[in-house]
Amino acid sequence: MSATTTFEEDNITPARRRDPLLVVLWVALVTVAAIWVAPFVFITFTAMKSNSDVMTTSAFSPPTDIAWENFSGAWKKGNFSNTFLNSVIITAVKVPLGLLISAMAAYALARIRLRWGRFLLVFVLFGAMIPFQVMLAPLFTLVNSLGLIDTYIGVILPYLAFGVPYQVFILHGFFRAVPKELSEAALIDGASHFTVFRRIFLPISLPVLAALLILDFVATWNEFAMALVLLQNKNMWTLPLGLMSFQGQFSNSYGQLNAAIVMTVLPAVIVYLIFQRYFVSGLTSGAVKG
Amino acid sequence: MSRISHLQSPRAQALILLAPAIGIYTIFAIWPMIEVVILSFQRWNGLDADRVWAGLENYRYIFADDPVYWIAFKNTVIWTVLSVIFPPLVGLLLALGLNEKMFARGAMRAIYYLPVIIAPIAVATMWRWMYDPFFGLFNQIMTGMGLQGWIQDWLGDRDVALYSMFIAYIWQHVGFSMVLFLAGLQGVDRSLVEAARIDGASRWQVFRYVTLPALQVTMTIVIVLSTISSLKAFDIVYGMTGGGPAQSTQMLAMWAFTQSMQIFDFGRGSAISVTLLLITLAVVVPYLRWSQKREDAAR
Repeated sequence: MSATTTFEEDNITPARRRDPLLVVLWVALVTVAAIWVAPFVFITFTAMKSNSDVMTTSAFSPPTDIAWENFSGAWKKGNFSNTFLNSVIITAVKVPLGLLISAMAAYALARIRLRWGRFLLVFVLFGAMIPFQVMLAPLFTLVNSLGLIDTYIGVILPYLAFGVPYQVFILHGFFRAVPKELSEAALIDGASHFTVFRRIFLPISLPVLAALLILDFVATWNEFAMALVLLQNKNMWTLPLGLMSFQGQFSNSYGQLNAAIVMTVLPAVIVYLIFQRYFVSGLTSGAVKG
Repeated sequence: MSRISHLQSPRAQALILLAPAIGIYTIFAIWPMIEVVILSFQRWNGLDADRVWAGLENYRYIFADDPVYWIAFKNTVIWTVLSVIFPPLVGLLLALGLNEKMFARGAMRAIYYLPVIIAPIAVATMWRWMYDPFFGLFNQIMTGMGLQGWIQDWLGDRDVALYSMFIAYIWQHVGFSMVLFLAGLQGVDRSLVEAARIDGASRWQVFRYVTLPALQVTMTIVIVLSTISSLKAFDIVYGMTGGGPAQSTQMLAMWAFTQSMQIFDFGRGSAISVTLLLITLAVVVPYLRWSQKREDAAR
């Protein structure tokens, strides 16, 4: 974890002699960055314009009278209070619970000598690579046979299952690197593994857990394909499903459609802007350094 | 500690710690994968009580009679090739640039990464609106620059739709490759770079003989992850075109879903899924072997 990149480690020292190539590079990067934010600007502007303004004004001209009613209108028409609540409930249960069971399993695999430990580890890691998109039909069949279609549990359980591999992978790597001395003394004194896990390993892994928590929050918040097959009843839909249906029904209410996009995306963007550095450390600690 | 119970054997404790994760994972991730293989040999509409054994009939059908399968296959191949080349390449260029100390570097990194955290379905909705033939961003820009001749129905024209969709995909995924490359660049020895510069190596030579070799592992990881994520492209297809127009953006994951969940032919849908699963495994298994070996070597 020591050498992970963060977005915030800049300490800009004024260049004493400006390298011309660096200036060119900088201009190029800024230009491309402007292109990269352009869609956000366009969407936000459109979300604040009335339909007639959308049709008569240029895409990048800021709205003159802000049409706040787009947001309230989209919120009502798109049944957002419902989908928002469902997303909140599912995410609030799935994310901490998933992290807990992954951490428990990762601890056991990393710190308890088991004959089939290595096999289990590969078995779990394998799951990080298989796309659940190919299994939508059997997932539906399974959840249906358990009578859990259109329930929170019915979607939370598969979410948990597909979250386990990556989190176990990261946490296993982290736990294994913890020096033996830290846990051995406690174990010799007769503490159980549960105690060591809870009192020693969970506290020291807080930064990693925070990173995984935030990554998983975004992944769960954004998940679409599984929710699409497991949540058929409109009242159980999550935000992405609500947005999709909104697009289908009201694609000509441009202002409201864009307001709906903004409202769907905003929570993830806010979380990202606040916790930026955790995203990066969470991603890179696994993929590159693992 | 006089009371000795089962709970004190490390093995039993391990079992308790492992059970929830492994249990849920096996039931809800591994079992569906086995089930999809079983289903692919059966005829079933998803509702009836009995599932009829069909042997290889579903496979024969999708390979020989399904008018869409090979279109979806071809599109998936094109999509994967494009996704393995462009997002990593652009990501590498951005990472090389943003690895230099410069003004607003942090802000730029944040901007390039921002689309990664947005729901793919929201990206699809955003871009669908930007591609709107009448009021969308692209055609407005074309008009503004006097390029009326370039105006297109970006998602309605079957020759262009797949590539229009891919532009949105690049926009979303470049940040991911960039971050991995930035992390990889931390592993490049600064003193080695400086030594090479002092010895008179050109920028290109430093890149070619110092930086690039140091990035080899990162490169492999980025390419494998890009391949896997491109094979499972689903949300963006569903949200942007639904596979149309005239199946021109149809892909395997989407077509498997359509067969099973919309046409209610679970057998054919699962047979399509199995072919996609096999393609994925052909990438994943060698990669896992390779990373295991690397880990063993590092130990």
